[in-house]
Amino acid sequence: MSDTRLPLSWLMRALYATLSVGIVFAHLLPISTVPSGWAGPDLFLALTFAFATRRPDYVPILLVAVLALGIDLLLQRPPGLWAAITVIGVETLRNRAPALRDLTFLSEWAAVSSTLVVMTLIYRVILTLFAIDQAPLGLSLIHLAATLLVYPVVVLVTHAVLRVRKRAPGDLDAARGRT
Amino acid sequence: MARDRGQSEDFKGPFKRLLLGILVLCLLGLFLFWRIDSPRVERFRAQVVDAIVPSFDWAMAPVNGAVNIVRDFQSYQRMHQQNQDLRRELQQMKAWKEAALQLEQENARLLDLNNVQLDPRLTYVTGVVMADSGSPFRQSVLINVGSRDGIKDGWAAMDGLGLVGRISGVGDDTARVLLLTDTSSRIPVTTQPSGQRALVIGDNSPNPLLDFIESPDEVRPGDRILTSGDGGVFPAGLLVGQVIEDRGGRMRVRIAADDERLEFLRVLRSYRKDRIDDPGGLIGPSAGAGARAADQANAARAGDE
Repeated sequence: MSDTRLPLSWLMRALYATLSVGIVFAHLLPISTVPSGWAGPDLFLALTFAFATRRPDYVPILLVAVLALGIDLLLQRPPGLWAAITVIGVETLRNRAPALRDLTFLSEWAAVSSTLVVMTLIYRVILTLFAIDQAPLGLSLIHLAATLLVYPVVVLVTHAVLRVRKRAPGDLDAARGRT
Repeated sequence: MARDRGQSEDFKGPFKRLLLGILVLCLLGLFLFWRIDSPRVERFRAQVVDAIVPSFDWAMAPVNGAVNIVRDFQSYQRMHQQNQDLRRELQQMKAWKEAALQLEQENARLLDLNNVQLDPRLTYVTGVVMADSGSPFRQSVLINVGSRDGIKDGWAAMDGLGLVGRISGVGDDTARVLLLTDTSSRIPVTTQPSGQRALVIGDNSPNPLLDFIESPDEVRPGDRILTSGDGGVFPAGLLVGQVIEDRGGRMRVRIAADDERLEFLRVLRSYRKDRIDDPGGLIGPSAGAGARAADQANAARAGDE
């Protein structure tokens, strides 16, 4: 059992990292350099949350931190701040994952939404405190809303295509046996 | 269930929590360090970008190519209409070309008459756009020339026609061009023919604001906007765009460069001019000259005796 389990979880970690790099890659494509009035969703965050609420062991916090910091550096954000907030947000959700396991998707969505809203608020407050230029409020609200709206889709894909599912009771025993 | 959760937290133990704390502290520390000593961290960022983005290049090229093919295909569908538009424009262009040729000759004659010396060092390096900023909140592109090609921070980047932005962040093989539309872009300009000084201020919209105009009444929509060279960062006289008025009655700039498809950018080499810091000293005979004059006078007197 443990022979098949260990490679799977490493496989899923690698898959998560690859998907994240793919998302950044798509962001960086110089397809349109005209500023647009709307902001697309933060797919990396949605993916991370979807993984963290389902299988916290697939998203080790160190991996999330490294990826988030890399994205901060590549996307010209203040380095480290959003990464730190992401790490805290993901850790919060990971801690809540066992409780969320028994609840419906709606309550999970609500938990993710509240986490994301608080994260955005803290981010903007810190940026204001440190007197750093920030995006217009409307644009970051659209960004937030888009991320929340895309979350169910990301969950659907991770559930159906990537087969990242919440632990069933049988799995739990196996996992406990492993530890 | 509750017991299970308690247990798993026990398993996690202080070690994981310590790791988490250290991670968050490191990230926040990096942020603070960036806030205190921005240039150093930005240089680090440029190095990271320099290391990562070129390695994406093999994958970016085909995807970009595919997107361009799809776009070209879309434009094939409007071929007839485009053809007619182009013919009409060509007619107008011929008239303009004639006018431009005459003006060029006239200009050359006048320059010759005035004995004007153009700055011979204003040459350029051309780079290809590799990636954009990747975020809707930042407007910049990455080009494939860097400090290896002598690029320096602050130089102007143009497409064939007009100003695109300035260099902000240089790596070994890559450099970032901050576009005019970015919220942190400020460019000093003059308008023509009214000759007013103003600033072009990016605000994350396709048409940046024109603000701090000397006398706003004299600027009309349709005026041309050129860089003024104030502050010594940019060479003067690069075309930026045209003045337009938005619905709120504010002056904005329609950028002359084709922002939609930035592919090749030329970076103008501009070297800092000698500045005049000296307020100007008193002009008088120097001490050495005075002594020599006195000696000569003495010698003359001795000769007389």
